[in-house]
Amino acid sequence: MKKFWRCHVCNDVHYGVNPPEVCPTCLVKKAYMEISSEEAKKISGRSESTVDKVDFRKAIEKFSEGNQFQVNPDKKRVETLLEGIFNCEKNHGMKYCPCRLITKNFEDDLKLVCPCNFRIHETYKNKEDGECWCGLFIRRQ
Amino acid sequence: MNKLLMFHGRECPHCIAMMPHVDRLEKETGVEIERLEVWHNEKNADLMRAYREIIEPKCGGQLRTPTFMNTETNDILCGEIKYEELEDWATK
Repeated sequence: MKKFWRCHVCNDVHYGVNPPEVCPTCLVKKAYMEISSEEAKKISGRSESTVDKVDFRKAIEKFSEGNQFQVNPDKKRVETLLEGIFNCEKNHGMKYCPCRLITKNFEDDLKLVCPCNFRIHETYKNKEDGECWCGLFIRRQ
Repeated sequence: MNKLLMFHGRECPHCIAMMPHVDRLEKETGVEIERLEVWHNEKNADLMRAYREIIEPKCGGQLRTPTFMNTETNDILCGEIKYEELEDWATK
């Protein structure tokens, strides 16, 4: 079961089964201890960072760097998808894939948040011209 | 009588690509497909979710768009497909 962990040196918060061995921010070893979800919310709620479409576009490019996939070069398609992804966040709370409907089970629907784990999907896995279901990411040629 | 539905999303590129096929099908064969947008219409979304057990096994375990459904036979197609395949599904 995933839990929240806090770095006692720099207050980085990690959500996972185990804490990181090394804090990725302050690089201190064995610095994490378990905290409550309420504490985690208070710490993460202090951040005022936002991600607009331009930021998200940059983030998916960065995410793709060095990976076997890339952002689809079809600019019109990407534009349509980003419109859908941001409408999903505005209307349904998360950046859900515009090509799959949420079930309203939060845990299940986390699998639909973009980028999803498309590398295991049949539209991508073992396919030379594989892509994620919506086509935002395609296998790097 | 068979009722043919198309669950689609406004910003879903697969759905956008299929719309001209649906228009052509209706024009050439006279069949009607009811278009139900699911990301901006909660009633349509709830209807699609109500068919979850029928749709998911045929659509990679998910409520993918577009999904074409015959409500009498539960015959399902999902994703971007060729016109001929859509026509076979709609006219059988």
